Amino acid sequence: MKVVLEHLTKIFPSRNKKEKNAEVVAVNDFNLEIPDGKLIGLLGPSGCGKSTTLYMISGLQPPTSGKIYFGEDDVTELAAENRGIGLVFQNYALYPHMTVQQNILFPLQNLKGENRLSKEEMLARANEAAKLVQIDEYMNRKPSELSGGQQQRVAIARALVKMPRVLLLDEPLSNLDARLRLQTREEIRRIQRDTGITTIFVTHDQEEAMSISDYIVVMKLGVIMQTGKPQWVYDDPANLFVAKFLGTPPINVFRGRIEGEKLYIGEEAVFETKGAEDQEVYVGIRPEGFVLDERGGLTCSVSGIDVMGRDVSVVSTNENSLNPVIRSIVSADEAGKVSAVGDVKFRLKENKVFIFNKETEARVYFGAQVAAHEAMLSAMKAEGEFYAFHEGPLPREADDASKQTQPEEKKGFTVSVKNFFGKIGAAFRKQPETPAENATAEDTPAESAENAAESADDATQTESEDKE
Amino acid sequence: MKEQEKDFVEETPAAVEGTPLTEAEQAEQDLREKRRKRNAIKARLRNLKGWVYLLPALVLLAAFTLWPIINTLRIAFLNGYNGLAEVGGATFAFGFQNFVNVVNFPDFLVCLRNTLLLTVITVPISTMLALLIAVALNSIKWLKKVYQTIFFLPYVTNAIAIGMVFNAMFGEVLINGTPLSIGIINSILGVFGIEPINWINVGSSTFNNMVVLIIYIVWNALPFKILVLLGGLQNVDKQYYDAAKVDGASRWRVFWRVTVPLLSPMITYVVITGFIGGFKEYTSVVGIFGDSMGAPAAPGSMNTMVGLIYDCIAKNNGGLAAAAALILFLIILVATIINLYVSKKKTHY
Amino acid sequence: MSLNTVNSSTQNAAKGMKEKDVKVVSKRQTVTKVLVQIGLYFFLTIVAIAVIFPFYWMLISSVKTVDEYNLYNPTLWPTEFVWGNFKEAFVGELHLGQLFGNTVLVGVVSTLLSLVVTVLSAYAFARLDFKGKNFLFGAMLATMMIPGELFTVTNYITVVNWLNWKNTFAALIVPFLVSVFYIYLLRQNFMQIPNELYLAAKVDGTSDLKYLWKVMIPLASPTLISITILKMMGAWNSYIWPKLVTSDLAHKLVTVGIREYGFIQDGVTNFPAQMAAVLLVTIPLLIVFILFRKYIMRGVSRSGIKG
Repeated sequence: MKVVLEHLTKIFPSRNKKEKNAEVVAVNDFNLEIPDGKLIGLLGPSGCGKSTTLYMISGLQPPTSGKIYFGEDDVTELAAENRGIGLVFQNYALYPHMTVQQNILFPLQNLKGENRLSKEEMLARANEAAKLVQIDEYMNRKPSELSGGQQQRVAIARALVKMPRVLLLDEPLSNLDARLRLQTREEIRRIQRDTGITTIFVTHDQEEAMSISDYIVVMKLGVIMQTGKPQWVYDDPANLFVAKFLGTPPINVFRGRIEGEKLYIGEEAVFETKGAEDQEVYVGIRPEGFVLDERGGLTCSVSGIDVMGRDVSVVSTNENSLNPVIRSIVSADEAGKVSAVGDVKFRLKENKVFIFNKETEARVYFGAQVAAHEAMLSAMKAEGEFYAFHEGPLPREADDASKQTQPEEKKGFTVSVKNFFGKIGAAFRKQPETPAENATAEDTPAESAENAAESADDATQTESEDKE
Repeated sequence: MKEQEKDFVEETPAAVEGTPLTEAEQAEQDLREKRRKRNAIKARLRNLKGWVYLLPALVLLAAFTLWPIINTLRIAFLNGYNGLAEVGGATFAFGFQNFVNVVNFPDFLVCLRNTLLLTVITVPISTMLALLIAVALNSIKWLKKVYQTIFFLPYVTNAIAIGMVFNAMFGEVLINGTPLSIGIINSILGVFGIEPINWINVGSSTFNNMVVLIIYIVWNALPFKILVLLGGLQNVDKQYYDAAKVDGASRWRVFWRVTVPLLSPMITYVVITGFIGGFKEYTSVVGIFGDSMGAPAAPGSMNTMVGLIYDCIAKNNGGLAAAAALILFLIILVATIINLYVSKKKTHY
Repeated sequence: MSLNTVNSSTQNAAKGMKEKDVKVVSKRQTVTKVLVQIGLYFFLTIVAIAVIFPFYWMLISSVKTVDEYNLYNPTLWPTEFVWGNFKEAFVGELHLGQLFGNTVLVGVVSTLLSLVVTVLSAYAFARLDFKGKNFLFGAMLATMMIPGELFTVTNYITVVNWLNWKNTFAALIVPFLVSVFYIYLLRQNFMQIPNELYLAAKVDGTSDLKYLWKVMIPLASPTLISITILKMMGAWNSYIWPKLVTSDLAHKLVTVGIREYGFIQDGVTNFPAQMAAVLLVTIPLLIVFILFRKYIMRGVSRSGIKG
């Protein structure tokens, strides 16, 4: 099922009634056509509106304006229960009082009219779904008796059992530990392939999105920054935000300028930038874009070398770097050339270097990149591929800072506690190993009070001796 | 405290090794010794301090809580015990006569019947109604606070005083046996073509009396139950409802399959406190029917177990009162155990 | 199972949805939503009227003349407002003024004393350490399960037969000074105050009592307000015990007084006068409720016991 979002916008009214202007634009004029049968990752930092977009697609949150189509059907006005979607919540939202089987059966039992199933059919369908996610051994357990990964699978089975037109997953991996996360994301990929259901999932973890998605959608402050196959987006970021957001270790950003078709970082001319106008720029260099070369144009001072198995990461600094340290990945053989201290010179791989205008933060193409980009664009068009990027001015954090309403800190109590902590801190700081600080929860209040009094005595030894 | 003392010994390596002490070490050890003694005294004082702070409460509790538990048990088994007589120096024989007398009391069965009926009828009605109201309140936005406040009003009122208002609403004003006024409730029912009913006046049936009492008790019991259940509802993770919505569950199914099970701990709490309150029903009867505990010319017909106990107390029949109180305690205990047992089977997590 | 089954059924389900006219569905769903909302408000309004009606009836009856009240079909709005019923309550045989005075006196004294006892005990349980503390606290909590009637039996004998306190204020105040539940409530509140505050006070050389007064009590004031209000309301509404131990006007409390008073006039109950008295008893409660709604609700939702 193809999913089309047209001018989708969501504005949350201000929580503070006095400040009427403080409304939050969570999703801003969102246009997207999600192809049928693919796995799409909605990606962005927290607060970028990705979850809101997902909830609007699900029907749980009505859009402020815009349209949502499933295939040819306009479902904008339809409530969640009539859209035929499956949704996996971030915390799974499994009914705690029902067994795994009852949880999976629940959506089937809600079917009405001609869609109604017999008991046997329901059980058969539930079993199919459970087998698909490999949870069928645990049908009679309660969710509380399952691990996080198992609960996750039950939640997917419950979403799949009614054979949804679209499957939506909200941060599906965020509640799992690192090992399970790797395993589960492969699982999600497999299930999606097996069922062929158009699947949209939300994540803030770029690695997660890049590894399993057919396509990713990078968002910032409610606006789409770029969409496409993960590798394209990585290789050809449309702006500084996208470049910075994708990749581990993150891209290294430098202040620089283009002067006479040459790129300067500091006073060093790094390479030629044919076709680029003179301007102040940011230079993004992927960690794998550095090559150790004594005749290289970029000089950095080495502060350390991290060995990561096959590769070696050279950690260095440069006064024009926006990152506190520069991480460059070189092969282990080459790393031998680097001395642990002193300067090092890098040559840069041009296809791993992205230049962005300092004002707009939009990509500045140069040299061979221009042709490569043009070629790809026309190829995309010809194949009707899912690819787009943001044009025009980028949304700014500053616009948003005033709009985000922070929950008010609790007053009164906290304040007085702080005052007291200040006093106490003064008494304890002189004695790092006071019994009071080692006091465990088992200590009765009076005992640790006694300890504290004792240690305070020690701290002011003369005073206590005077008393005696 | 012992642990602390041990710590001090261990902290002094000289003492453990038994090597001769330097002057400085000697001084230090003296200091530690002094501090240890001071600590021991402090500990004893502190121990005492706790009891000093508790003294007023303990004296009162001993006299008006602990002693009653012992004494009520004692006098329940003293045949024909009478507090006034005991003060005068009388002694009483040990036996079960009080229990026999209470059970053979002409009013006992009436009281027991009324108490059980009131409890068994009002608790389910008020719980169900409170649950519906709480769910309804939870699914509206506009005027929510206003409704919430209104529903809480009966809680803060005086049970006797409002009982008198119910008496006024249901009662007819009679002069020489003919109604001067049929009362507002009959008047309203008249709009629907219902003939005036003798709810609580002379000659009214026990059934009618009971209906009025039940309405009043439910009216009175709603606020607490609504408050607790609404609190429970607001604590239910909203995601369960979103999930149910995505799963296409109807409102009715959401109510029975999601809301009720998730609220079951709260419902259990409300039912148990409701049962305990029901068995102790007394003031609502006094409010509506007055001290006679029944319609005019039928005193005692609406009496309850607690009413029976107070009658005995007021007549200085301490032995009977104690026996009746113990019987009531047993009934409450059994009902609570049954409630807990049933809820354990029904509460799923 | 074959994965193809899921695949093909998915398409079937999708087709099934497509055949439906989306507009019809969305319209039906809006109509249902509106109808449900109307239904909810209808239901809540009916119940709200039922809840409020006794108050309304009390209010309008108190300003009616006896003749109007006694009409065969009573009026829902008084044709003539009279205030004499209220005056009657104070100057007549009911002596409402005296009853109010007694009740306020008992309420204030017992609340103040009770607060002192409760604060001291809660502090001891929350912050002081002494042998047998946990046992004592557990034993106190256990007594909460025993129905009050069991205590009343012996307390009546103690107070009336042994202490000879019948018709004294002491009989009304002393037996109920300690409430295990309030001690429990306040102790829990005290426990939430971080221990570091106590340590800091110790370091500064603050005495326990001063610490209690300067730190604990201000921080626990919401709970203390809840306790104060519930205790006052308890005194105002108490009926059973005052009825047992008092019989003279000088010590009678208001609830007992209005219930005992017949309000009989010419052989017929004078309902307007009765409703006026009842209203006067109810109004202070409503005022307290309006002012302290939050505190009352919080105290109540934790107790399950009525005032």
